[in-house]
Amino acid sequence: MTGQILPGARSDGSAWSVGAVGGAVAPGCGSSGGVRCVGGGVGGIGASPVRPDGALKVRGEFAFSSDLWADDMLWGATLRSPHPSATIRGIDVGAALAVPGVYAVLTADDVPGDRHYGLEVADQPVLAVDEVCYRGEPVAIVAADHPETARRAAERIVVDYGVREPVTDPEVALAGGRLVRHVPIRKGDPAAVAEVVVTGEYRVGMQDQAFLGPESGLAVPAPDGGVELYVATQWLHADQRQVAAALGLPVELVRLSLAGVGGAFGAREDLSMQVHASLLALRTGRPVKMVYGREESFVGHVHRHPAILRYEHGATRDGELVYVRARILLDGGAYTSTTPAVVANAASLGVGPYRVPNVTVDAYGVHTNNPPCGAMRGFGAVQACFGYESQMDRLAEAVGLDPVEVRVRNALAEGGSMPTGQVVEGPAPVARLLELVRDRPAPPPVGDDPRQLPGGVANTTAPEQVVRGVGYAIGIKNVCFSEGFDDHATARVRLELIGGEPTALVHTAAAEVGQGLVTVQAQIARTELGVERVVVATADTSVGSAGSSSASRQTYMTGGAVRAACRAVRAALLARLAGGSGAGADDGGVADDGGAVGDGGVVGDGGTVGDGGGRVAGGGLELAGGVIRDAAGRTLGTLVDLLAAGPVERSVRWRHRPTRPLDPVTGQGDAHVQYAFAAHRATVDVDPELGLVRVVEIATAQDVGRAINPQAVLGQIQGGTAQGLGLALMEELQVVDGVIRNPSFTDYLIPTILDVPPMAVDVLELADPHAPYGLRGVGEPPTISATPAIVAAIRAATGLPLARVPVRPEHLTGTG
Amino acid sequence: MRPVSYSRVADVATAIGTVAADPDSTFLAGGTTEVDLQRIHVARSKRLVDINDLPLRQVEELPGGGVRIGAVARMSDVAQALPVRRRFPMVSEALLLGASPQLRNMASIGGNLMQRTRCGYFRDVAAPCNKREPGTGCAAMTGVNRGHAVLGTSEYCIATHPSDLAVALVALDAVVLTQGPAGHRQIPADDFYPMPGETPDREHPVAHGELVVAVEIPPLPMASTSNYLKVRDRESYEFALASAAVAVSLDAGVVTDVRLALGGVATKPWRARRAESVLVGAPATVESFRAAADAELADAVSHGMNAYKIELGRRTIVRALRTVTGDARMVSDDGNPP
Repeated sequence: MTGQILPGARSDGSAWSVGAVGGAVAPGCGSSGGVRCVGGGVGGIGASPVRPDGALKVRGEFAFSSDLWADDMLWGATLRSPHPSATIRGIDVGAALAVPGVYAVLTADDVPGDRHYGLEVADQPVLAVDEVCYRGEPVAIVAADHPETARRAAERIVVDYGVREPVTDPEVALAGGRLVRHVPIRKGDPAAVAEVVVTGEYRVGMQDQAFLGPESGLAVPAPDGGVELYVATQWLHADQRQVAAALGLPVELVRLSLAGVGGAFGAREDLSMQVHASLLALRTGRPVKMVYGREESFVGHVHRHPAILRYEHGATRDGELVYVRARILLDGGAYTSTTPAVVANAASLGVGPYRVPNVTVDAYGVHTNNPPCGAMRGFGAVQACFGYESQMDRLAEAVGLDPVEVRVRNALAEGGSMPTGQVVEGPAPVARLLELVRDRPAPPPVGDDPRQLPGGVANTTAPEQVVRGVGYAIGIKNVCFSEGFDDHATARVRLELIGGEPTALVHTAAAEVGQGLVTVQAQIARTELGVERVVVATADTSVGSAGSSSASRQTYMTGGAVRAACRAVRAALLARLAGGSGAGADDGGVADDGGAVGDGGVVGDGGTVGDGGGRVAGGGLELAGGVIRDAAGRTLGTLVDLLAAGPVERSVRWRHRPTRPLDPVTGQGDAHVQYAFAAHRATVDVDPELGLVRVVEIATAQDVGRAINPQAVLGQIQGGTAQGLGLALMEELQVVDGVIRNPSFTDYLIPTILDVPPMAVDVLELADPHAPYGLRGVGEPPTISATPAIVAAIRAATGLPLARVPVRPEHLTGTG
Repeated sequence: MRPVSYSRVADVATAIGTVAADPDSTFLAGGTTEVDLQRIHVARSKRLVDINDLPLRQVEELPGGGVRIGAVARMSDVAQALPVRRRFPMVSEALLLGASPQLRNMASIGGNLMQRTRCGYFRDVAAPCNKREPGTGCAAMTGVNRGHAVLGTSEYCIATHPSDLAVALVALDAVVLTQGPAGHRQIPADDFYPMPGETPDREHPVAHGELVVAVEIPPLPMASTSNYLKVRDRESYEFALASAAVAVSLDAGVVTDVRLALGGVATKPWRARRAESVLVGAPATVESFRAAADAELADAVSHGMNAYKIELGRRTIVRALRTVTGDARMVSDDGNPP
C-alpha cells in the first residue's frame, strides 16, 4: 500500500508522495526528499523513528488493558437492560448475592456521588435509575472471584421492568420534542435563487469504531480511601472528573493511568467500565478487573450517528454555487454524549470546503431509544461530506462539468469565508488537493488476475464483466476543540544527566491510542533539546490534563505543550549558562506557565513558524548534539556541564488560540481553531450483475502542515481511508427496534486487507502559522472524503443514484 | 460459558460410548463453532468429548476416482490434498472460500457439515427461534433477514445453511459415513440435510452418540473441471449471499450431464435438480442457463430484506454455468490463485 518516496516530486519542496506500488519507505532524516532534519539529529521531528509498541503488537506481546492483573483481584460483570425502553419497578439482587464467590452486587442506590455522568451533559446513569433508555444499558454490577461466577450471578439479578414502546425513528423523536441540539447556519440571502438547482436526500448508516481491544481496566483501592484506575481511554482527566463525581470523592483521590489501548477512534471518549470497576473496588477493598466481551463491547460504547441529510444546491449555469440549503438529522440515541458537538460540526462544515455566498443549514441531534451515539473519527463531518459531495456530483452533471472542475471552480481558499463567517486563515489548498488526485496516473486497466477483480478469487467475475468507474471527493474537518471550549494540554519536561548522558523525561496525560503519540513526543523533545535519549513516561493524572486524543488534536495540543515545555527548559538552561556556574536559582524547579502560552504556542523564540529546533531563547544560540554554540559557531557550553548542577524541569499548560461560540440564531462565529483538508480519487471495478465492487486504487492528497512523523502520517491516511471504505461498502450496525442485530465481528463487517486497495498518497506540508511547527491534524480527514469518493466511483460505473451508505450488492443488482 | 467437563479420547469406540452414555454431552472437534455457541448459551452441553486424536484425519483416494475424507481432517488440509484438488476442485475451492485461514486450520470436516446456522436470531437467546427453542416462533420472518433463505423455507424457519463445503458435497452426491451405538450408516449428503418444515430444530439425522467418521465422494470425471462460485459482502472471511457448485459435461456444445448446487439462498445445501433437468440435453448457451435458473428459483419466496436473493440466485447460476463451460477456472492446479 505504501511505496517509494519520490523526492522532489513537487516543485516547491513542501510536498512528498508515495506511489501505489512498491516498498514502504517514508521520508526521514537523511532522506534526499527535501525533508529537513532539525535540532536533535536522529529521531527528531520529520523523521520516522521506530515506534516502541510496533514490534510488540506485531508479535502479540503488547500488554493491553485486558491483560492487566493483580493477584488478589476480583472480576466485575455488568447486568444490562434487555429492553430499549422500560421503567424499573424493582431490582432483587438476593439470588446474585447468594452465589458462592460473589463479593458485591451494586445498583444505582449504591452510587455514593453523582448518579449521572457525561462528557458534555451529565445525563447518562452510572447504573440505571428507575428506567432504562437503550438496550444494553447497565443496570447492576457484580464482583466475584471468577469472571464466569460474576456473569452467572448477574443473570440471577431479578429486575422488574415495565416495558415501554421505544422511540427509534429520529424523525418521530424530533417531532416529539426529543431535541438535543439544533444548530442553524444563516449566511447571505435565505431566498437566493439560482439557474440550476439540484436536490437530494442521503442517508448514512450507523458505523462502529470496531476497535479490537474491548473495554477493560483494573481498579485498585488505595490506602487513602481513593482508587487507582488503570484503563484504556482517550482522555484520562475527563474520566477522572466523571469517576470522582460518581464516587463522591475529590479528584485527587481518583488516580488514573493509561493501560494499553487496543484502538479507540472515538469509542473510548465516553466512560464504559471506569466507574463500575472503581465502585466495586471501593466496596470490596479488592482490585477489580472488568473486560467486556465482544457482544458486550458493541453495546458498551457509542457509535457514529446515523444521519438523514437533505440538500438543495443552487448554482449558475457555469457551476458556481449560489446557495446551499440543508437539513441534517442525526440520531444521538439514548444519551447526550458528544451529540451537541457532532451537530455543530455537521452544521458548520455542512457545505464542505466551498465558497458559498448564501447558506441555510439546520442540523438537529435527537434522543431516541437507539444505542447512544457519540464520538467517531470525523464526527459530523463524515455524514455531511457524504451529502454535500454527492450533491457536487449531481451539480457537475446538471451543468455539464467534470466533477473535479465543478469542485475546483467553487473551492475554498486561504482567506475565504466559511458559512459561519469565519475567515480561513492559513493554507486551504482545496483546489490543489483535487488537482493532485486528478493528475495521478490512472491505475492499470482491468486485468485477468482474479485477485484484482470484483469478488476476488471466488470465481465470480471475468474481466469482460467489469465496469470501471472513477469518483472524487474532498472533505473538511475542524481540528481541536471548538466553540469557545477551553482546550489545553499540559506537558512536564525534565532534562537531567542519567549515567552521564543528558536525558529528557517527557510526561503528559495524553493517551497513546495507537496513533504514535509517544513517538511524536519524543521526537519533539529531541528536536527542541538536542538530545537523543528521551523517556516518555506513562500517561497518568499526576500531570495536568492533555485533553482528549480526539478531534485530530493531540499532536497539535500535546505536541505544542511538549514543545513549549522544552523551550522553557532551554530558557532555564540559557539562564544557567548566563549565570556562569550553572548553579542558578532555578535548579530542579518546576514552573507552570499556567496557561500564559497561547496562540500558536510560541514560546520565547520570536514567534517564527519554522521549526525553531535547537534555537535557544533570546540569543540566536544553537543547541545540538548536547553542545550550545553561538551564531558564530563558538562553543559556549555543553549540556553535560550545565546539567551537572542538577536537573531542569518545566511544566507548561498550553492552549491553542481561542475560539468563540456559534451564534445560536445565525450560526455565525469563529468557532474552529484550524481546518484540515483531504481529497480522494477512487477507482472501482464493478460487476453490476452480481453487485460486486473492487476498489482498484485510491489516490489521496492531504495537507498536513508539517509531517512530524511521516510514517505515522501515512499510517493515519491509509487507516483512515480504509475506515472510510468500510463505511462506503460494508460497515453498519443493523439496529431494529433499538436492538443491534449484528454485534460480532462475524456479522459486523470491516474491510480485510484484501478489500483495501493500493493507495497513492500525496502529502502537502503547507505550514499553518498558528500551529506548532505549522502542523495540521491528520487523523480524521482521510476518513471523511474516502466514503463519498468510493460511492461516486460506483455511481460513475453503474449510473445508479446510491443515496445511502453502506452500498451493498443488492443496491447494485437492482433487485433489492 | 457454563462449566463443562472435558475429556479427550483416542479411539472411536470410546468416543461414541462416552457421548452415548451422557445425554448432556457432545463431541468436540475443531471447536470453531461449538465453543462460540457454548459461550453464548445456544449450545448447552455439559460434557465435551474431544475427538481430535481420533484416527480420522486422512484423505484417501478410492478406487475408480473417488475420495474418502476423514471427519477430523482440517479444512485447510483437505483443500490442499492433491486428490481433492485434481478430482473435485469445487470441494477445494468451497473450503478455501470459507472462513479465515486461522479457522480453516482448526475446523474439521465433520464439524463443517454439522455447523449451525448463522441466523442472528438463532444466536440471540433472547429472541424467538424455532430452531433453537421449538415453538417460540421465528423472529427472522419480519426482522433482519438480509442473509436468509429464499428456497426451502417454511413458516417456521428461513435460516440459511452456512456451509460452503456441504454445497459441493450435495452436488457431488457425496455420502456421509457415521458410526454409532447402533452401528454404521451411510447417508447421502442431500438426505443429511432435511428441509426445516415444521421441525427446523431437526437439522440432520445423526443420533446422539452417533459420530460422523468420514465423507466419501464417488467418482465423477466431469468434476475435474468443476468450480465453486461465491458471492459475498467482502473478499474474505464471510458467508455466501449466494453460491454455486457446478460441474458440466458437454458434447458438441450440448449439455450431457450437469451437477449444480446452491448455497446462501436456501435452508439447506440446495441441489438444483430443476435446473439440472432443464440443462441436460440443452445447448450450452446463456439462454439455456437462464431458463435453468428461472426454473430453479421459480418457487422462491422472499421475506423483505432478502428479496434480492431471488434474482441474485438466478444470476449466480448463470454466471457459474458460463464460467465452467468456458473453462474459466480461477484456481490453478496447485490450488493457489494464479
